[in-house]
Amino acid sequence: MNELLEQFLVESRELVQAAADDLLALERNPGDPARLDGAFRAVHTLKGSVALFELAPMGAALHAGEDLLEALRRGAAAPDRVAMDTLLALVGASEAWLESFAADGRLPEAAEAEGRALESALRARMSGVAAPSAPPPAASQDWLPALLEREAAAIARARTEGQALTALRYAPSPDCFFLGDDPVATLRALPGPIALHIAPREPWPADGPAPFTCNIVIEAVFAAPEAELRKGLRLVADQVALAPVPVPAPAPSGPGLPAPRGLRVDAARVDALVDLAGELVVARNGLAHLVARVGEENPALARALAESEAGIGRLAERMHRTALGLRLVPLGRAFARLPRLVRETAGGLGKEVTFTVLGEAVEADRTVVDGLFDPLLHLLRNAVDHGIEPTGAREAAGKPRTGRITLSAAREDGGVAVTLSDDGAGMDPARLRAVAKARGVADAATIDALDDREALDLVFRPGFSTAGAVTAISGRGVGMDAVRAAVEALGGRVTLSSIPGQGTSVRLLLPGGAAVMGVLTVRAGGELYGIPAETVAETARLPKAAIQPLGAGEAFVLRGRTLPVLRLAALLGLEPAPRGATARLLVTGGGTDGVALEVEGFGGRLDVLLRPPQGLLRGLPGLVGTALLGDGSALLVLDLPDLLARAGAA
Amino acid sequence: MSVRLDGDVIRLEGPARVEDAEPLIALLQAGERRAVDLDGCGPLHAAVFQVLLALRPPIRGTPADPFDARWLLPLLAPQPGP
Repeated sequence: MNELLEQFLVESRELVQAAADDLLALERNPGDPARLDGAFRAVHTLKGSVALFELAPMGAALHAGEDLLEALRRGAAAPDRVAMDTLLALVGASEAWLESFAADGRLPEAAEAEGRALESALRARMSGVAAPSAPPPAASQDWLPALLEREAAAIARARTEGQALTALRYAPSPDCFFLGDDPVATLRALPGPIALHIAPREPWPADGPAPFTCNIVIEAVFAAPEAELRKGLRLVADQVALAPVPVPAPAPSGPGLPAPRGLRVDAARVDALVDLAGELVVARNGLAHLVARVGEENPALARALAESEAGIGRLAERMHRTALGLRLVPLGRAFARLPRLVRETAGGLGKEVTFTVLGEAVEADRTVVDGLFDPLLHLLRNAVDHGIEPTGAREAAGKPRTGRITLSAAREDGGVAVTLSDDGAGMDPARLRAVAKARGVADAATIDALDDREALDLVFRPGFSTAGAVTAISGRGVGMDAVRAAVEALGGRVTLSSIPGQGTSVRLLLPGGAAVMGVLTVRAGGELYGIPAETVAETARLPKAAIQPLGAGEAFVLRGRTLPVLRLAALLGLEPAPRGATARLLVTGGGTDGVALEVEGFGGRLDVLLRPPQGLLRGLPGLVGTALLGDGSALLVLDLPDLLARAGAA
Repeated sequence: MSVRLDGDVIRLEGPARVEDAEPLIALLQAGERRAVDLDGCGPLHAAVFQVLLALRPPIRGTPADPFDARWLLPLLAPQPGP
């Protein structure tokens, strides 16, 4: 994918999102001028950048959307529900088109018809009002590619200085001289011109120019942000079009210029930096070891070295934390599209729902945030579909007509808690038990033995769905079990609480980010594994004879306590190596239910940078995450409690 | 601004206004290939600039206004081709 296209896609997605946010805010607070301006700008800019690619149906629809927003701004159209629906439909369609364009390099077949339908729906909202006479020639952005080509040299030069560039097309109205306008004076006042071209709007009359008819079209490029130019052009805003000059590569802002946005950096580069910083932390461990050796021969030198080592250590850890911070993104990224989806879902079901989002600014690792969208979407659909009752039922129950759904995020215990609660019908444990029995989720005796809280957990069992009828909204063959699996794959947990008649609350506890973890490396089945040091109570080397058969398994006695011995390799489904003269055991837990795991060898203790399992490893049982070792190989870090639970031994 | 005929050269002096366009057209159309001297003039009004752009007389001198000198003057240079 070329860089221009890549940049276009990134920015367009942001613009679509910005437009959606503003429109939704506008719906809550009709006539909010800042939001209206925001939506207009987003649609306008999107329309402008769309012109660079073969996206004509999208451009035409966006143009109609821009016109409608402009009419709303002038007060010439009413921001009623239909207008908002149509505009949001435009935003939704644009989003789908962009994704299809990103995937296939072109719009889907249906886009043309769809675009035309949207266009006429949008225009229909403007009919009956004094529609703007013919759209001013400046409003179409066919001019941009030609301008960019003509001024390519100047643009390239300015770009090396890293400035944000904006293209202008200014077609002064023919009678502007009578109104006291001097388009050249307007131009002169604009900051940072880097290219200027002036051409006749229409061919000059054969008998020479008419002295009082302005017949020029000005095209220019400025090294200034659009907003600043707009200020200088506000009096002739109807005669100008502005478009940001697409940047082929992330350009750092020039000295002294405030960066309009953050720097875009490829995620892989950030990951590489995080890995390097992590390795630095690990490499420093080696230094500590050397310092200890020097201490035996030269205590004075060792003290000086130790001090220096501690300083390097502090810096390395700070650097590592900072680098990790680069991977953190606000949860708002996963939340952003949800309000629109709630609105659509509720609209489709004829329900009224107020959706509130809190804590968008809370940050978590990018993997976690990106992986959160799907489970949240499913939970939300469930809440709207099954949680919130139909309006009539709510009124009968003495509740407000409009259902409330709240999504909130907060930092908690080094992780992030995301809670989705609704004030709907709630879940009835008795009914859940009945459904679970009917569906054969578990045998009846087991189900009856569950207390009410545990009964709620039945919804997470595979094959469970409480919907009497599968609806188009949430009945898509994905159940709460998929939600739980997705959240656990991110290293998180899901819990559910519900009060019948009052609502349901789903809580996701997620890891805040990748973290440095002390692990013990061990060998099992010929492979190296990491085990979080915190789960190991102690390690022991025993003569073979100390391990005795006990029932079907083996055990040994440690300080008067009999501990079962399990082979780690067997837990992992590997072939254990035969036991030598000495058995190597690590004891888990430390409590009364400790277990001894036999391994084939101990490595050492390492501080590693733990990352949530990704790709194929996601959802692999018994895995906390992976870590990159100094030699570039990956270390699987095991979740001992989980492994033991799965083996039925804990 | 004043628009003054000095031999075969039309001199523009001082700041240009919209009403300077009409006499400029008249002077340019009255004499074949009269040059226009912009030395020290400006800032130019769009109406005056438009006349120069349409009739393309040979241009001499440099306008006093830096914007005009840097950005407008090059647009009035003789165009290659027909």
